[in-house]
Amino acid sequence: MPIISIDGTEYEVAEGRTVLQAIDDLGLLMSGVEIPHYCWHPKLPIDGSCRMCQVEIEGMPKLQIACNTPVKDEMVVNTTSERVQKAQRGVMELLLINHPLDCPICDQAGECKLQDFAFDYGMPGARTEEPRRPAKKASDLGPTIVFDQERCILCRRCVRFCREIPKTGELGVFDRGDRSLLELFPGSKLDNPYSMNVADICPVGALTTKDFRFKIRVWFLDDVESVCDQCSNGCNIYASRSNNRIYRYLPRRNDAVNDTWICDHGRLSHKRITENRLSEPKVARKTTTYTTALQSAGELVREAREAGKGILGVASPFASNEDLFVLCELLEALGAGPGVFSVPRGAADDILIKAEKAPNANGARALGFVESDVAGDAAELAIVLGHTLEPAALDGIETLILIDTEDSALAEKAAVVLPARSFAQKEGSFTNHANRVQVFQPIVEPSFEALAEGEILQRIGAAAGLADWNEKYDVREVSKRLSESVAAFGGIHLGNIDDQGRELS
Amino acid sequence: MITQPQVTNYLSEHYGDEAYRELSGYEACGGFEGLRKALRMEPGEIVELVKSAGLRGRGGAGFSAGLKWSFMPSDDARPKLFVCNADESEPGSFKDRLIMERGPHQILEGILIGAWAIGASKTYIYIRGEYAEPARRVQQAVDELYERGYLGRSILRKKGFDHDIVVHSGAGAYICGEETGLLESLEGKKGQPRKKPPFPAQYGAFGLPTTVNNVETFSHVPFILARGVDWFRGIGTEKSPGTTLYGVSGHVERPGLFELPLGTPLREIIEHAGGVRGGRAVKGVIPGGMSMPILPPSELDVKMADEFLSERGTHLGTGGVMVMDETTCMVRVACVVSYFFRDESCGQCTQCREGTGWVNKICERIEAGRGTAADLELLDDVPSLMEGQTICAFADAAAWPIQGLMRHFRGDFEAHVAGKKCPFPESFEL
Repeated sequence: MPIISIDGTEYEVAEGRTVLQAIDDLGLLMSGVEIPHYCWHPKLPIDGSCRMCQVEIEGMPKLQIACNTPVKDEMVVNTTSERVQKAQRGVMELLLINHPLDCPICDQAGECKLQDFAFDYGMPGARTEEPRRPAKKASDLGPTIVFDQERCILCRRCVRFCREIPKTGELGVFDRGDRSLLELFPGSKLDNPYSMNVADICPVGALTTKDFRFKIRVWFLDDVESVCDQCSNGCNIYASRSNNRIYRYLPRRNDAVNDTWICDHGRLSHKRITENRLSEPKVARKTTTYTTALQSAGELVREAREAGKGILGVASPFASNEDLFVLCELLEALGAGPGVFSVPRGAADDILIKAEKAPNANGARALGFVESDVAGDAAELAIVLGHTLEPAALDGIETLILIDTEDSALAEKAAVVLPARSFAQKEGSFTNHANRVQVFQPIVEPSFEALAEGEILQRIGAAAGLADWNEKYDVREVSKRLSESVAAFGGIHLGNIDDQGRELS
Repeated sequence: MITQPQVTNYLSEHYGDEAYRELSGYEACGGFEGLRKALRMEPGEIVELVKSAGLRGRGGAGFSAGLKWSFMPSDDARPKLFVCNADESEPGSFKDRLIMERGPHQILEGILIGAWAIGASKTYIYIRGEYAEPARRVQQAVDELYERGYLGRSILRKKGFDHDIVVHSGAGAYICGEETGLLESLEGKKGQPRKKPPFPAQYGAFGLPTTVNNVETFSHVPFILARGVDWFRGIGTEKSPGTTLYGVSGHVERPGLFELPLGTPLREIIEHAGGVRGGRAVKGVIPGGMSMPILPPSELDVKMADEFLSERGTHLGTGGVMVMDETTCMVRVACVVSYFFRDESCGQCTQCREGTGWVNKICERIEAGRGTAADLELLDDVPSLMEGQTICAFADAAAWPIQGLMRHFRGDFEAHVAGKKCPFPESFEL
């Protein structure tokens, strides 16, 4: 493997990569090795046009763009020389001469590469007095994206994205020279299942999403690592949080799962954390306290167990591995057979979107739950997580204990209803379609009383009088028990899965 | 050391003869002897021969044609392509047009010799859109070659030597004369130069190994084959052998093309064009097409070959000599030049897209009498932000003439700023 030197430090890099790619492979780009860039993006074809990543390479008379210069053994790169700095100042100055500098009213402010690099590499003042290039303000590109043409720096990341990833090619740069403008191709709209990614990769405030635009200044947000729960792909995300509220999801890079993208459906699913929530505990369809509901559920389980009634567990592919494992433990303690689960299905593509519209169907499978659309007729009591099973499938069962995050027709049929925390409100893990276990953290607190499914199940077990079910609920302990007792999870638990997930054995 | 120039005009010797445009007339003057000779040689020998002849590309950059041919991968199973660059978009250049109209078979013979040398199976001749008549003439010549067995399968009954030529008309953009911009345009895409690597020899037209040569470059090749390296090196200078068609325009009595050995003094070339109009004095001369820095009158004795011009901060370029007499406002020249490059920049690279527009606005402000001392500093500095930092040489081409004008004619700029108006009469025409 070639060894290259950058500003005096040596790095062993992969053969056949460019300087920027090699540094990115090492995870050091802009976090250890500072080579500013606009048009280059790790998951898009190299463009080489912004010229911001110019570096000095020993033996080459001209500055070279790091994004397109192949690494060679013993290559000596300088990213801070006077020539490099002059070139960077030049690019910054020239990018800004046609930029409106409307940061105070621009939604990108605070996470804008033009701002950042102007501070880090630009000049303190402007030398222009000419009016800016006239361009369109806040034009509509389609259902999801607003375009401020005057802010565009023509890096063409969005153009390459639309051509290469969804392969829809709606965008192009028209005219030439300093009249160049990003536009939709005539007659088209930016309307594809991945359209909102263009806002993420836009280094400036030219492309913003209608969903997030003007909702909050980004410096009030903190980004929590999480996983999208809208299909079995399990795209890695950041949930941007402020004031106990999620404002947006952003894709989080995971080259084994979603590269740097998420689909629009998944991105907009942050609304589901607050929409249509099951918020009131009920016994016999009457609202009651959480404690009473837990106690009633425990009583129902105790009665069923003592009477030797058939007990059925219904798992949810939206519940975490840990929640589902507690259900397994409860069913075992009650002497019930393996539970069932059902997965909603829909359209898939060959990019990210999978047919299974739930995050953890493979987790349920790994834990021994049987995929079924019917509940069977042996049971008289069912402990039901979620509402992926059709209500009619449960018609033959006398007593239902429902633990769910969302309101549904099933809540009307249940003897006891217990509101549960969604994945955004607890810690846990999902197992995606490729059996990669990925973790998520609590991002927000529910505005009503709710516990994680696992904790609810444990408290029901305790209330039902099961021995040793009284200890304090600790999801990390559950996870450890899971990794010890289920072979596929051997050695994998919440304490040792990093932000890129781990594959089941 | 400069070899004694022979009086010679081998390229254009028969351009006055209408029959020379046709295959029979061309053959009657010795045409296709070079190809016949080449087909008796090994391909590698021809590359070496052209290399040792020292033939430099006539499209502007002056790169060794033989060396360029040698870059074509020999161990690559993919078909190899030739592209003849007939875009001739550099202002002040009109030599390729004459060759296409008067000696199209010279080009085609040069292409066929090169094709045998590098193993190219197809050539695209990319002709600028405005050149309708040259395109027609070249197409006629290509058709003749097909009819007579010079193109197609087993050319001149040489087994394994197959070649096709496609004549393609561009749509009118300066940047399509840049070799990779040309390739993009040829593929039907927007004419924007490609980043390198990969270079055309690895990834050229339609992704195939490609060599791009200028029209005139090809035209010299048959003569080198037919008459020999020593003959060729006996013309011109040691580093720049052969002749070229200097195109003289601007304030001269008899603008036109003059085939002279490379290294002919600039003053002599201007004399061939009848001297400066009305007996006026020279103010400045652009030696090689508009993108090359201007020379002041003190440099008129420079020998017009790149090795001498580069010592004076400019280049031979395409050999398009633009003469400006003493009535010329150099700020207005800067306006015209910068407008052209602003208009023609493809807009990919930041420095070129934004810099060309900015420079043009500054020049026009100074010409309009609204310039300040700070503007002069900007004209010193902004071109240096553009030069040498972009995908192709266009930004250099836009920066150099401004740098040349500022170097030699700063006084004109200062007079505009000081007097708050253009001191030259409005009737002035470039």
